[in-house]
Amino acid sequence: MTTGLAFNLQQFSTEDGPGIRTTAFMKGCPLRCAWCHNPEGMSPHPDLMWYDVRCVGARECLRACAENALTLMPGGMQIDRARCTLCGKCADACPAAALEVIGKEWTPDALMEQLLKDKVFYETSGGGITFSGGEPMQQVDFLCEVLPRCQDAGLRVTLDTCGAVAWKRYARVLPFVDLVLLDLKIMDAARHQAATGVSNEIILDNARRIADAGKTMWIRTPVIPGYTDDRANIEAIARFIRDALPTVERWDLLAYTNLGKPKYHRLDMPYALEDAALFTHDEMEALGRVAAEIVPVARWSGATR
Amino acid sequence: MVDHLESCQMIAPPLLWSAAPTLSLRVKRLRDEYWSFYQREFTNEVRAYTTGASWYIGYSIWSLTNVPEVALCQPGFRSYLSAAATRVKLPDGFWREPLTIRQALFFREVVQRHLPARILDGELVVGSNFSTALSRCLNQDEASARDKQEQAFLKKWHALNDVGIGNCGAVPGHLVPDYPKVLRIGWKGIQAEAQCVVEDPASTIEQREQARAIVICADAVRILADRYEEESYRLADAEMNRERKAELREIAHNCAKSPWLPPDTFPEALQALWTTHMLLMAAESYPGPGVSPGRVDQYLYPYFQADLDAGRLTREQAKEWLECWWIKHNYAYDYQGWVGTNQGINASFGQLITLGGMNADGSDASNDLTYLMLDVIEEMNLLEPKPNIRVHARTSDRLLNRIVEMLSRAQGSPFLINFDENAIAGLRWEGLPENRLWDYAPVGCLENTLAGDDRSGTVDVNLNLAKAVELALNNGCDMATGKQIGPRTGDPREFQDFAQFSDAFKQQLKAILERIIDANDIADAGRARWEPVPYLSALVGGCLESGKDANAGGARYNFLTVEGVALATAADSIAAVKKLVYDTRQIEMGQLVDALKANFEGCENLRQTLLNKAPKYGNDDPYADEIAREISRFWSEQAFQYVSPTGKRYRGGYLSWNYWIAYAPTTAATPDGRRRGQYLSNAVCPVNGADRKGPTSVIKSVGNLDLRTAPNGASHTMSFSPAMMRDPEQRQKLVALLRAYAQVGGTALQVNVIDADTLREAQKHPDEYRNLLVRVTGYNAYFVGLGKEIQDEIIARESHRI
Repeated sequence: MTTGLAFNLQQFSTEDGPGIRTTAFMKGCPLRCAWCHNPEGMSPHPDLMWYDVRCVGARECLRACAENALTLMPGGMQIDRARCTLCGKCADACPAAALEVIGKEWTPDALMEQLLKDKVFYETSGGGITFSGGEPMQQVDFLCEVLPRCQDAGLRVTLDTCGAVAWKRYARVLPFVDLVLLDLKIMDAARHQAATGVSNEIILDNARRIADAGKTMWIRTPVIPGYTDDRANIEAIARFIRDALPTVERWDLLAYTNLGKPKYHRLDMPYALEDAALFTHDEMEALGRVAAEIVPVARWSGATR
Repeated sequence: MVDHLESCQMIAPPLLWSAAPTLSLRVKRLRDEYWSFYQREFTNEVRAYTTGASWYIGYSIWSLTNVPEVALCQPGFRSYLSAAATRVKLPDGFWREPLTIRQALFFREVVQRHLPARILDGELVVGSNFSTALSRCLNQDEASARDKQEQAFLKKWHALNDVGIGNCGAVPGHLVPDYPKVLRIGWKGIQAEAQCVVEDPASTIEQREQARAIVICADAVRILADRYEEESYRLADAEMNRERKAELREIAHNCAKSPWLPPDTFPEALQALWTTHMLLMAAESYPGPGVSPGRVDQYLYPYFQADLDAGRLTREQAKEWLECWWIKHNYAYDYQGWVGTNQGINASFGQLITLGGMNADGSDASNDLTYLMLDVIEEMNLLEPKPNIRVHARTSDRLLNRIVEMLSRAQGSPFLINFDENAIAGLRWEGLPENRLWDYAPVGCLENTLAGDDRSGTVDVNLNLAKAVELALNNGCDMATGKQIGPRTGDPREFQDFAQFSDAFKQQLKAILERIIDANDIADAGRARWEPVPYLSALVGGCLESGKDANAGGARYNFLTVEGVALATAADSIAAVKKLVYDTRQIEMGQLVDALKANFEGCENLRQTLLNKAPKYGNDDPYADEIAREISRFWSEQAFQYVSPTGKRYRGGYLSWNYWIAYAPTTAATPDGRRRGQYLSNAVCPVNGADRKGPTSVIKSVGNLDLRTAPNGASHTMSFSPAMMRDPEQRQKLVALLRAYAQVGGTALQVNVIDADTLREAQKHPDEYRNLLVRVTGYNAYFVGLGKEIQDEIIARESHRI
C-alpha cells in the first residue's frame, strides 16, 4: 500500500475552494518559488523545525538526540541537518512541543478517516477536500489510491496544483477531481524560470489540456513584489485565461503575505523577500481592475498595508 | 470595525450609545433618556415597602447565593432597605390571613397606594416603576423560623462556596410565564377562573387560599391599569400638542382595556404584555432575573398582522410601538444605577425573548414579525430584552442569512442561537410531553423550558466539576487547607490502574454533588414555605389546580438545575492522568501530586508535558471527548436521581456564568497543566487554547458530549474574526457552519465577531468603546463594563482563535 507524506491537514479551510473544506498539504514540490509561503512543503522528505517561542530550555532534546545534531546556542537551537536522521526522538522528548518533525506518513485508511470527520460541514457548505502542497501531484500514486475513495464516500475533491507535472499524471487523477485550482504566476518563460526554477511551458500546456478536458478551473496568481506584480504580467495572464482557458470560473489575485517568513528561519533557509512590504489596498485594487477588464471573474484578496 | 466604531462616536454624543440612525425621533429620545440615568428625573430605583414590623425582610439572601459576591453584601443591603422602607397600611384582619393571602393583599396595597404611575414624555407603552423590595409579610414567629432556616442554609453554603465546590440558592425568576393566556382571556378571565375555585365547594382549603390570592392579584393588575389610564387622561387634558394629546388618549384607552380584557390590536397587546410583565417583576422583589416573555414573535403575530391587514398600522408604526415596548425592559437596571450604569456581570436580567423556531408540524415558524424584531434588535442596540433565535433543519435560508448578516455587522453577537433538535432531545430525555416540545423557549440566558406551566429553576446549583479532580488526587482533602471535604478515596499513589483513579474521581464528584443538593434543598424548601408568589402563580399553569404556589411545586412541571462548571478542565485533567500516568507511564502519580500541590513551582517541564503531550477536549479526538462525555453523563444522571422537598427534580445543564473565574483561586492546580488561579473552562467550551483544530472540531467535540442528559442547555461560545464575515461568500460559509452545528453540535451557540486588537483598544480606551457589546457565557454585556479578569478572558479567547 502506498503512503502519502503530508505536512498539514487543515480543517475548516475556507480559502482553498468552495465551501468548508479540509485541505491536505502534501510534501514535495518541483518549483522553488522565491516567495513560497509554505517552504516546509518544498522537500519531499520530512523536516525538523524548532519553534523559538515554545522552547522552555528543558534540554530534553539534547539528551534524546543520539546523533548529537542539536546545539542550544544563545541565539537559538542549531540543527545540524546533515547529521539529523529525522528520527523524531527530540520531538518526543520535548515537553513543550518546541521541536516538530514536519511531514507525517498517512496510509489511505488513516487519511480517509481524518477527511471524513468534517463530512457534515462539507455537505452543508458545498465543500469537500482539497489536495494542495507542496505539489500533491508529486505523490500521484497516493492520490490515485485516495481520490477514488473520496469519490466513493461522496466527498468532492479539489486539486490545487502548480501545473509543472507530466500530463500523464493529470490524466490519471482528473477523473476523480471536481475542480482544479491552478497557479499561473509569470507569463514570460525566462522570468518564470528565474523565479521558480522551472519553465512555464509545461504549466501552460497542462493548463490548456485541463481546460480541454472540460474541468472547471480556478486560476490563482500570487501577486509578489518584484516578481509577478507588473501590469504587463497580469495582462498577459489575463489574455491567456481569456483565450485558452474557457473553463475558468474565477481568477484570484492573492496579495503577497509575509506569514511564511518565520518558517524560513525555522528551516534554516534563506528568504528572498526578507524585507518586502505588503501591498497597499490601492495597489491591489488597481491590479484587480487590470485583471477584471480582461477576465471579468477576476478578484483580489489578502492582507494589505 | 474600528472605523465603524469611530464613526459612531463622531455622529453620536457620548450618551447616545450608538443607536442606528434610522430610529425615529421619538424612540431616539426615549433611548437617550434611558441612558441619562444621572440626569433624568424619573428613575426605577428600588422602592422598599414594609408592614411596619421590625423584622422586615425585603430581599432574601438565599435568592442571591448563586451570585456569591452579591449575596455577601445582602445583610448590609437589607438593613439599608429596611431603613428606607415605606410603611404600608394593612387592611383589617391582615395578620389573621394565611401567608399567601397576606402577600397578595400587601402587593395590592402597594400597587394601589404607593407604586408611582409615571408616564414618560413621548412613550407609547407605559408602566414605569416596578423595582421593589416588598415585605415578605411574615409575623414574628415566622420571621424567626425563616431566619433560622436561612442561617442553616448559609452555613452549608459557605462550607461549599469557600472551598470552591460551588454554590446554590433559591434563584427567582427564570421561567416563561403564561403571557399568551393574558392575551387570550385577560386578567378578568384569570380572576374568573380563580373565583370559580374559591366558590367551588369541592375545592380544598389550599386550593381556595391559592385562588383567593390570585383573585386579589388580578385586582392589583386592574387597579394599576386604571391608575395609568387616569394619568394618561390627566396628561392628555394638559397637553397642548394635538398629536401627543391623541396618543395619550390612545394610551388611556389601551390601559383601560388591557390587560384586564383581552387585547384586539397590536398596541393593546404590547401594553397588556408590559403591564403584566412589569408587575411580575414588582411582585418578585429583586426584579425578576430571567423572567422571560418567550416566543413573542409567535403569540404577538396575529395582532400585528391583523392591524397591518386592517390598515390600522403601517409596518413602520408597528415597529415604533414595538421599540417603545422594547426599551421599557431596560429600566430593570435602574436598581443599580448609582453603582454604575455599565451593566456588568451582576446585571444580567435575562428577559429572554425567543424568535423563530418551529411549528407543531416541524415547519419553519418565522414570520414577518420575526424579521421586524430583528430589525429592532439591530436598531436599538440595547441589552434587554435579550433575544434568542431558534434554528432547526427547516429554518429558511432567508432567516439564517439574516442572522449571519447581523452577526457580521454587530461588534458582538446581539443574540444567541438555540438549536431546536438538540435542545428538544434534552427536554424529551427529562420526560416532558412529546406534543409540547416544539413550543419550548429558553429563559435567562439559554436555559430550555416549556412555556407557561414549567417552573423549572435554572442556575440554582453550580457545581465545580474540576474540584472533584483535586479531591480524587488528595484523598478527599482540599489541597490549600488540608481540610477533609470529600470522602476518603485513598492515596492516589496506591492506585493500581486508571479504573481505580476514575472511580475515586466519580466518588468525589458524587459526594460534592450530594452535598450541594443537600444545601440547596434547604433553600428550596424555605422559599416554598416562606416566600409564596401568588401573582406569579396566576401565570403558571397548574398552580390554581394544585392549590400550590409556583415556588412550592404548584406548576405542572418542576425542575431545579445543576449547572456543571469546568467540564473541559476536568476532562483534560482526567485525560492527562490516563494518558501520561497510566498509558505511557511518562509521569508517576506521586510526582504529579507533588507538582500540583506545589502549584507547579519548579516543575515547568512536567507542566509543559501535561499541556502538550496529553489529549485535549475540543479537537474531535475520541480519547479526550469520550472522557468528557463520561463525566457529563455520570454527574448529570446522578443529579437526575434527586428530587427536592417541593417535588422538583434536579437536572443538569452547562451555564457556568462567571464561576469559571470565581472558583479559579479555590481550585488547586490541575493535571491539564493549569495553575491555581488560572481560569477554569467555561460551560462546554474547551480550555482556552486547548482546541487547536478549528471550529469544526470544537463543534463536533461539543456534539460528542451527548448533551441530552443536560437538558437545561449548554452554553457554547465561538469567536470569529471579522475577516470571516467580510463578503457574502464567507458569510455563506458561516450559514453552512450553523446548519452543520444543528446536526453535530450542541444546544446553544453564541458567536462573537471581534478581533483581539479591537478588544485591547477598548480595554485601554473604555470611553471610546462604551457601546461595544459582547456575549459572555449566554448573556451580552457592554465590554467596557466588565471586570478586567473577564475582559482579559475574552481577549485570550480571541487571541487563541485560529
